[in-house]
Amino acid sequence: MIDSRFWWVVLLGLLLSACTSPQPAPVEEREVTRRVRAPASEESAGVQVYPLQNPAVVQLMEQADDAERSGDYATAAVLLERALRIRPRDPEILQHMAEVKLQMDDFEQALSFAVRSYDIGPRVGEICARNWRTISVARDHLGDAGGSREAEQRAGQCMNTRPPSL
Amino acid sequence: MKKATRKRKAKVKARRRGALRVAVWRFSLFLSGVFLGVSIPWLAWLDYRVTGEFEGRKWDLPSRVYARPLSIYSGRAMTAQDLLSELDASGYRQLSGAGVAGTYDRSGGQFRVHRRSFTFDDAPEPALELEIRLGAAGVTSVRRLDTGEAIDLERLDPAEIASIYPLHEEDRTLVSIAQVPDLLITGLQAVEDRQFKHHPGIDLRGIGRALLANIRAGKAVQGGSTLTQQLVKNYFLSSERTLVRKLNEAAMSLLLEWHYDKPEILEAYINEVYLGQQGSHGIHGFARASEFYFATPLAQLQPHQVALLVGMVKGASLYNPRRNPERALERRNQVLEVFAETGLLTATAKEQWQQRPLGVTRRPGASANRYPAFIDLVKRQLRKVYREEDLRNRGLRIFTTLSPSDQARAEVAVKSGMEDLAARGLPESLQAAMVLADVSSGEIRGLVGDASPGRAGFNRALDARRQVGSVIKPLVYLVALEHDSDFNLLTPIEDEPIELRQPDGSLWAPKNYDGKSRGRVRLVDALTGSLNLATVRLGMRLGVQHLVAKLEQLGVEAHVEPVPATLLGAVELTPMEVAQAYQSIAAGGFTVPLRSVTAVQTPEGRTLQRYPLRMLPLERRDSIAVLNYALTRVVTEGTARNLSQLMGSDVRVAGKTGTTNERRDSWFVGYSRDRLAVTWVGRDDNGPAGVTGSNAAMRLWARLFSGLPAESVSLDMPEGAYWTWVELDPDARSDASCEGAVQWPFVSGSEPKSESPCLARLERSERKSFWRKWFDR
Repeated sequence: MIDSRFWWVVLLGLLLSACTSPQPAPVEEREVTRRVRAPASEESAGVQVYPLQNPAVVQLMEQADDAERSGDYATAAVLLERALRIRPRDPEILQHMAEVKLQMDDFEQALSFAVRSYDIGPRVGEICARNWRTISVARDHLGDAGGSREAEQRAGQCMNTRPPSL
Repeated sequence: MKKATRKRKAKVKARRRGALRVAVWRFSLFLSGVFLGVSIPWLAWLDYRVTGEFEGRKWDLPSRVYARPLSIYSGRAMTAQDLLSELDASGYRQLSGAGVAGTYDRSGGQFRVHRRSFTFDDAPEPALELEIRLGAAGVTSVRRLDTGEAIDLERLDPAEIASIYPLHEEDRTLVSIAQVPDLLITGLQAVEDRQFKHHPGIDLRGIGRALLANIRAGKAVQGGSTLTQQLVKNYFLSSERTLVRKLNEAAMSLLLEWHYDKPEILEAYINEVYLGQQGSHGIHGFARASEFYFATPLAQLQPHQVALLVGMVKGASLYNPRRNPERALERRNQVLEVFAETGLLTATAKEQWQQRPLGVTRRPGASANRYPAFIDLVKRQLRKVYREEDLRNRGLRIFTTLSPSDQARAEVAVKSGMEDLAARGLPESLQAAMVLADVSSGEIRGLVGDASPGRAGFNRALDARRQVGSVIKPLVYLVALEHDSDFNLLTPIEDEPIELRQPDGSLWAPKNYDGKSRGRVRLVDALTGSLNLATVRLGMRLGVQHLVAKLEQLGVEAHVEPVPATLLGAVELTPMEVAQAYQSIAAGGFTVPLRSVTAVQTPEGRTLQRYPLRMLPLERRDSIAVLNYALTRVVTEGTARNLSQLMGSDVRVAGKTGTTNERRDSWFVGYSRDRLAVTWVGRDDNGPAGVTGSNAAMRLWARLFSGLPAESVSLDMPEGAYWTWVELDPDARSDASCEGAVQWPFVSGSEPKSESPCLARLERSERKSFWRKWFDR
């Protein structure tokens, strides 16, 4: 005879799996953290080159962060788009959008937003490293292994004070 | 014996009585059977008909189209005029105290706005009282009035800019009960059906009262119909007044009330009631009547106007304010009297409103389609995804990119601009179109398709396919700049006569606008001066097929022939296509499809579709950045050099004029850092119009941008291009410290090969100092 406790365990398991199945991966295990944000932050050692934001944009970025953490990337993208309507050429918002697109597996757009952020951004420091690391990951997923490695190298050069072409 | 017969008789009687009783009982059973047998199916039939009608109308919901919501935050560049124009478009009324949602109050630069609750495309937001302060540059502070707390970001509920209607109700303007002014809801009940909240569909006391009044008067003076009965009567319009009809009506009213709640019934009534006639079309519903008689949205009616419409329920033609103004006025004042009696208006307010004239417009107002050109674009974008009937029946909520204040500016710019052109002696028959978009997002903020912007019909912004003339030239120069080993902005090119054999065998000999040729000119000067000969020679050297490929790359889908005349813009494009091509250039080489719709939701607010921002980087963004600088020089030195003066601003903008043969078309494309606009002026019959790019289209453009907040075009170079110092004649690389050195942008590798003597000296001394440093260590 099966112990009645067995059924409780089964039930509990079912309940837990019902709760946990839609949960996104823990933030620190996500690809965007492993391959983009953590290394960029490490390399830059706090070198940040972009100016402080206006409060309206800060509010939207924080809401987008919350949405992203809970795995609601679609909402994060909508909020970032609202922020871009206020500051259409802000490299930080553009890069954030690129990272959200990466997590939505929209690698083509992740690439586009990261390139735009790099084009009009500071092209040095942490954001530059995130730009190139996003480009690298996106190219990797799009099957461009060579381009991905090249982008990875570019990320390493972001800590030179001036971009190589100047 | 007698006794016995009596007994027998009694028995027979009793038996007969019994039989009779049975017969009567059986008969009545039969009758009630017949009654039930007939009435139950009959009632079921009535139920089927009335609920069918009600559901049919209820679910034939038009799609509602919303403008983009206005974001409000400290630091937003906007004028008081813009805020007023946004509030007006969103249907806000000015009311001192601003205690009601949907109202605002203003003193100087300080606005108190009572924002309505609204389900936006991403989240619902509650009603909220805001204080917005505006300074010269824009919003200086935003606060909640209840707590006094400063707010970082809020948004207004968006303007409802159109409804897409079920076909058979094209002439309707439907409203939901939430959009109906309170005075109409309460006033209607006060006048037509005071027991509405309580009765089950028919009002016996009301009928009794009416009957008594009618008997006393000796004729029918009062009706006892409830609003529900009137609604039923409206559904099955018939003037027949038989008892059966009355009974049917009463039964259907009871059935309606049984199925639906009061607000649903009232909403249906408000959208259904007959309030007049326009030709063969009935004017149904208060919202449509409000437009028809007052040319005003229902939400903005004042009490005396509400009273007139409520009064007209009794007899739309009898009290028609255009045909029988005296009778209508009398009826309106009666209704105002009732409003006061029932406490809906104070006695003094009543008297004030009674003094007012009827306030009816002389000509019937059209149904609200204030933005015909833009709505046309929205429908075209949606039809790619939705079936026509879904757009018309399912009550979709459509969120668009239109900025009501920018659109208002665009309309004023076109209207006043065209008057100005007429005053300058240009023909009266000129037409115009304007496209205004955000550079980075590709969102269309305003669209004008006619010289009279409110007029529906031919939408020139989307459908006028016209030769673009010199507007195409920058693309020829862009192709040249991509050949970075051969060309930079300073490269000399030939502005000499040229003859070319056309595909049809004829000879083509283009000329400059002044008939002169300039010999050798710099590439940048050929572009800013819009020189035809230099452009054709350059284009032929590069190959016309490269220009055609470039157009395609920039998102122009129209077929373009690779013939020499294409180099001078013998290509027919619409203003929208021109805007698309220039969007990529203005955004530094990021192509974003121009969009008018951002999201589509169900009536309950579930998102069906999003149209997010998507961009595609072009390969050669370096040459685009260099071209952008050259286009700012068109405005500072070239064919558009009057622009700053016309704009009354020294914000750095980039642009290009366009004129076609015999002055048929006038084009101007221009952009600031964040906004792009294309304007076109010409004649519908494509006849000579006496227009050039700078004498017509550019003037409209300047009118638009003179009021828009604008930031200077960014001259930062992306990777692969850079600014450096050069010396001219002979051209050589130089240094900031050298005399006569000027800064120009170059695609890397396209800069002059030689060094100026000054730069050479500097480098020698630097090398020396390097060795000196080395030895000094």
